[in-house]
Amino acid sequence: MDNENQETKITITLPTSAYFVSGIRDFTLNMVKNTTNFEERWAYRFQSVIDELCNNAIEYGSSKDSEIKVTFIFKTDDYLKIIVEDTGTGKNKITAADLQKLFDERHTPGYVFTGIRGRGLVKIVGEWSDELKFEDRPEGGLKISIKKYLKDARKKDAGISQPNPQSITLNV
Amino acid sequence: MTEVKISIEDLQSANPDKKLKVVHIVGQLDESNVDEKIQEIYKSLEANPQNLNLIFDLENLEYMNSKSIGYLTDIYGKVTETGGKVVIAKARPNIADILQVVGLTQLVSLYDSIDSAKTALAS
Repeated sequence: MDNENQETKITITLPTSAYFVSGIRDFTLNMVKNTTNFEERWAYRFQSVIDELCNNAIEYGSSKDSEIKVTFIFKTDDYLKIIVEDTGTGKNKITAADLQKLFDERHTPGYVFTGIRGRGLVKIVGEWSDELKFEDRPEGGLKISIKKYLKDARKKDAGISQPNPQSITLNV
Repeated sequence: MTEVKISIEDLQSANPDKKLKVVHIVGQLDESNVDEKIQEIYKSLEANPQNLNLIFDLENLEYMNSKSIGYLTDIYGKVTETGGKVVIAKARPNIADILQVVGLTQLVSLYDSIDSAKTALAS
């Protein structure tokens, strides 16, 4: 089919409530299983990645009466990209640079997680993505993007590790 | 709130000095329910402060988030500090996968059945 090589983009806007995140998890699981060629285990992994990103955006990034935006972009045999954006109206105003610093501190070998929280971004999102990017949105808030390539070889071919002064990119 | 049910069952312990309990978790543990539902396990810990062996039966656990794993890690610490042990039985592949990536499997062993978990705790 010709459209297998086309990029598909799906955007969903959610109210700022953990109640709605289970629906996004179900959507992610079925979408990855049915429309991409990732192995089934990756459908479950992306389910966890989206859950962790949405929970962080809801808890810290967007206020109670606000919203978060989730975008999936994929090419069937190539990659899946997930973007989660908050409005910056939440209880924890943090810049992309500060979040990157926090991530880097916790992403070092031997770092010990002592509390109940804090493992999701580093141990789940970080480990299960090929690229992780933190950006400040011009209108306020954070935009966090992850990209996972279907075949690891594509990562090298794509030349992802080129420095980009306009954004902060971490190849993991 | 996502559906999850936690029930705690007393089992006969092979070691008379230890109590043995199985924590059955059915459904999905996520941000909408974990803070409330996990308290059932903490209450059991408070009622049995010493020498408690715990088996987490995860056969019917469909999903768990990072905070749930944080709580399991905390429970592991409390149980082992007071002379007990914690193991996990019958975790589904997606659950075993997330436990592994977060690093909990370095602390807590996974078993295919309740019986094999009981045997491991008895040793």
